[in-house]
Formats: sequence, structure tokens, C-alpha cells
Amino acid sequence: MLSCAEFLAEFGDYLEHAADPELRSRLEEHLHECKTCRVIVDSTRKTIRIVTDSECFTLSADAVEPIVAQVMSRIRESKR
Amino acid sequence: MSRSPTTPREQLKHPQLVAAFGFVPNLFDAQGQLPRAIEAEERLIDAVVVCENRLSRPQKESLLCGVANVRKSDYCRALFGNAHPAASPEDSAILRFALKLAKQGPFVSGNDVEVLRGAGFEDAAILEAVVTTALGQMLCTLAEGLRPAVDSGLTPPLPVSLPELPESLDWIETPGPYLRSPARAADNFQPYSFLREAYGFVPNLYRGQSLRPDLVEAEVHALAQVLLPEDLLSRIQKEQILLSLSAANLNTYYVAMRGQILSAMGVSLEESDQIIEDHHHSRIPAPDKTLLDETRKLACLPARSDRWFEAAPLRAVGFTQPQIVEAVVMSALANFLNTLQAGLGTVPDFPPRRVFTAKDLYPPSGQARPTSDGAIADDPDAALVARVQNGETDAFEELVRRHTRRIFGTLAGLVGNMDDARDATQDVFLKAFENLGRFQGRSKFSTWLTSIAINTGTDILRQRRPSEPLEEVDQDEGFRPRQIQSWADNPEQVLNASQRDKLVKEAVLRLPEKYRVAVLLRDINQISTEEAAAALELSVPALKARLLRGRLMLRERLAEHFIAPEKGTADA
Repeated sequence: MLSCAEFLAEFGDYLEHAADPELRSRLEEHLHECKTCRVIVDSTRKTIRIVTDSECFTLSADAVEPIVAQVMSRIRESKR
Repeated sequence: MSRSPTTPREQLKHPQLVAAFGFVPNLFDAQGQLPRAIEAEERLIDAVVVCENRLSRPQKESLLCGVANVRKSDYCRALFGNAHPAASPEDSAILRFALKLAKQGPFVSGNDVEVLRGAGFEDAAILEAVVTTALGQMLCTLAEGLRPAVDSGLTPPLPVSLPELPESLDWIETPGPYLRSPARAADNFQPYSFLREAYGFVPNLYRGQSLRPDLVEAEVHALAQVLLPEDLLSRIQKEQILLSLSAANLNTYYVAMRGQILSAMGVSLEESDQIIEDHHHSRIPAPDKTLLDETRKLACLPARSDRWFEAAPLRAVGFTQPQIVEAVVMSALANFLNTLQAGLGTVPDFPPRRVFTAKDLYPPSGQARPTSDGAIADDPDAALVARVQNGETDAFEELVRRHTRRIFGTLAGLVGNMDDARDATQDVFLKAFENLGRFQGRSKFSTWLTSIAINTGTDILRQRRPSEPLEEVDQDEGFRPRQIQSWADNPEQVLNASQRDKLVKEAVLRLPEKYRVAVLLRDINQISTEEAAAALELSVPALKARLLRGRLMLRERLAEHFIAPEKGTADA
């Protein structure tokens, strides 16, 4: 069976449900026996969900057009 | 070639440039801190272009213009002016040969040289065509790296219609050398003595050009002026640029030769092998890796990368402006030598440890194999990009609109400050517009734009050093999850959206840069793993490894806020 260190090195694809069947079965075998790694998988998936849903680096929709206008104005100016 | 009035002082200082161009082009002014390089280039230009031998001056100018079009160098297209249209089948044959050599050097074989012989060209004329093409590559590389302003009074002509190259290319191995002329130079020929002194042997490349001793003299003089002096970059740094660019150009001959020369200078063959495969994993100092990162972008094999050379990363790691100019000049010389060898089919002086084949044209990381014209087939931005490339500036507006939010997100996550991110977003689009001529569609436009954003954001972070360290404190080795308590079933209910955003922002900005970028691209911008890997020039497995590490670090930092108190500690 995989050790915890081996599990942690390999479970990236598993997080995204993209591990190939052979790897998935080895990872799940480990998970069945190891509560710590089960907690890590669960909390990492939740981390991804929170980060993905976050709007901390999002530009508001009404801020887009001023940037577009400034970029195009600078381009047109440079071509004069 | 374009002519314009020049001052008597310029005529006096650079008579050969004036003879070639009618004035002293900005390209050479941009190298003012390196007069020895200008002198070497001037001598090469005189031997290759000005001295008429078997090919006429208009024929050579037509080849130079063809190379500038292949390299999409607006500066050189303006400098060389409109090519004289191929007036005869012979002219057309030699132009087609030069275009193939410039665009697809590794595919040139003895068969192409036979076609020229069939069209009536003797070996001396073929040699001139090869050297002229190599010179065109050199001048385009200089223009790409130094970015001089187009010379006053000149404008780039509209793209010319060039002879078509075959759609499907075969990597045909024919034994070299392709020219049959026997070596005529005596062993005491001065350039040979110089090469023996410098390298311990006379490379086959120079023996193979003995039909034109004046060319050999000019080329060896360029080595003496550019490669050997150690007042700016060290000889080893320059040899490594030559080795790395030769690998990028898939030049077996030069990779074998430079590996041996570096070995004689104390750099092991294994270390050179590592530079050839991926210098990031070699043991050379970090600034030298940046030097190879940037100079490799100047490789003449087109569009192995859509990225362009930038001086800022080199300045950030301590290189001076004269050293940066020398790095560009060295890259230009490397492309000159690689093109020369590819056209002449020179056989290696040493048994090659690494033989490049057609397979090396396509990266192993699962990236799509380019189509015959190198374009990604399903890029939703392709039509707009093509319109901008054809001069329709207004079409760029929609591209800016489509990508502003994503580019802003990447930059905000890198630089942290929203105002800086807004300014940097504009800079990214301006850089993209300025360099769109070089974009050849080997990645999606959005991927290319993302890579510009990452470079721009990284430069901003570098400029903040040392006042604002990048937190590259190494948490790499030995990183292990420490928080092993169960999280609440619905962590979103533990804190409101604004509190969560604040936490995520702080945690992301505290990540070491390489993990932060991976998380930003995949989890914040939600672009595919393959695109994120391409934007960072990483293999897919390398991107996945960084992403997993970044996610685990984030988990660690968010954990204390989301632990389910009632579930307690896991049985570790």
C-alpha cells in the first residue's frame, strides 16, 4: 500500500477526478485505511472550491470599458 | 537597399555601413556601447553584401528582404526596402532556397542544393546565398533584441508575396558537406592559425568555405571581436548562449562543437547536456539561467516560442546594459553560424552526443503538434488576430475587451495592488499589440497574452525587490501538511463572502511566486492545465506539481478558519 508521503505526491489528479483507474484504485486503497489523508483530500477540495468561488482578484464589469478605451487611445496615439 | 542622406562624420566613421545602406542605421547606433561588435558586423556586411562576386547586389538584397519577411522584422523590412522581384526562374530558385533556410533551416538538405545546381548555380554562388541568408538572420536577430526605431524616412513596405514553400516538410538526411569545391586555403592561412590558437583545431565550417577566403576572414574576425573578449560577459557565458541557441535551432553540428569547447574550458559534457535539454535543471548560476531564458527567445527557428526577448529580466538579475547588448550580439552571431552550417551541411568535427531529428521539433508535453502553417486550429481569437496583423488596428479593441478581466485577475493576484494591476493590464495589451507581428499562432492568443501578463507581473515584483521580498523562502523541500483536522461540511457558511475573499487574497499573496502563478491560472482564472502549462512554458506534470503544492499551502493557511470544532483531531 502507498505511504502517506507517496499518496500526497500523487493525489493531484485524484482531486480533480482525473486520475487513471489504476492510480485511483491505489489511492483509494490508501484512503480507506488513512483518516489523515481523507481529511487532507476533503479539505483540499474545499480549499479549491473556496478559492475558485472567490472574487478577490475580480475586476468589476463596469471597470472593463475604461481600460479598453485607454488602451485603444494609447495605441492610436502611438500610430499618429 | 534604401538610401538616405548621411552626415560626413558618419561616412568617416562607418564607411562600409554607408556603402551598404547609404547611411548609418539605428541598428548600429543601438550597439554604440560595443564598438568592437559594430566593427565586426560592418566587415561581414562588406564581405557578404557589398563585394559583388557570383551573385549580384540586387539578388542578395532580394534574399535579405526575404529573410526579413520570414522573421517578420519590420525594422529590417524597412531597412532592406522592397525586394527586387525574382526576375527569372534562377532568381526564384535561389530565393526559395534562402526562404527555406531562413524559415526551416534543419530541413535543408543536399537535395535543395542540387536543385540550385540544376538551376545553373555554381558552388561559389550557392555559398554566397547561404552566407547572405545567415547575415539576414543575424541582422534580424539584432533588430529583435535591440528594437531600434525604424530609421528616419523609412517605412516598412507592405508584406511581399514570397514563393511558397511546400506544405509538408520531410527531414531528409543527406551526407554533407553540400559544396563539392576542394579546400584551397593553405594551412598557414591567417584565420586558420587564429582558430587553431583559439580552439585547438580548424572547424570544418571554415574549411568548407575556402572558395571565399575573404568571407572566412570576416567570419573569424567576428568571432575574435564578439566571442573571445571577456570585458563584459565571460567567455563561458557566451559559449553557453551559443550552445543553448544551437540546441533551440536543432543544430547538431554546433551543439557537438560547443559542448567540446566548453569541456576544454572546464564545463563537463554532462553539464552541457543539461543546458541543451533544459538549462533550468543545470547547475549554472541563477542569473545565467535568466540569460539563457532570454537569449533562447532569439532563436532563428521560427516560433518555437511566441515570446520575445526582454532586457528587464536581465537588468533585474544584475546584467548591465553593455552586457545585455553583448548578449543580443552573441545570439545574432549564433544564429548566423547555425544558418551557415545548415545551408552548407557541414559535418561535425566531433562525434555528436546529441543528434537532433524531426521529433525534436515537437515538444513532448502533449502540446498540440502544429499544423503545416504552425497555427492552432481552434483559437476563437484567430480571426481578430489576423485582422490586426493585416493592419486593422480597430479589431484589437474587441480582443482587449474579451481578455481584460482575465488578464487583470492574473496581474492582481501577482502584484497584489489593484491600481498597479490596472496599469499593468494596459501595459500587457500595449506590449501584445506592439509584438503581434511576431505572434504566429502556435499557442492560443489567450495563452500568449497570459504569458505576457505573467512576465509583466513578475517584472513588477522584481522591481520591488529588495523592499518587498517575494517570499521565496523555501517551503519547497520537506513541505508536509500540518493541519489535519476535519473541516466544516459547508465552510462557505462559516464566513461571509467578503470575509472569505479577504482571507483568500491574503493567503494567495503569501504563496511563493511559482506556486501562486499556478493557482492563479488554474483556480482563479480557471484556464485548462494544458494552457496554464503552455503559458508558463512548463510541462504539464511540472505545472500539476506546482499547482498541488500551491493548493496544499493554501489549505494550510485557510484551515484554522474552517475547522469543524466538534470533529476533533484525526487519528494521525
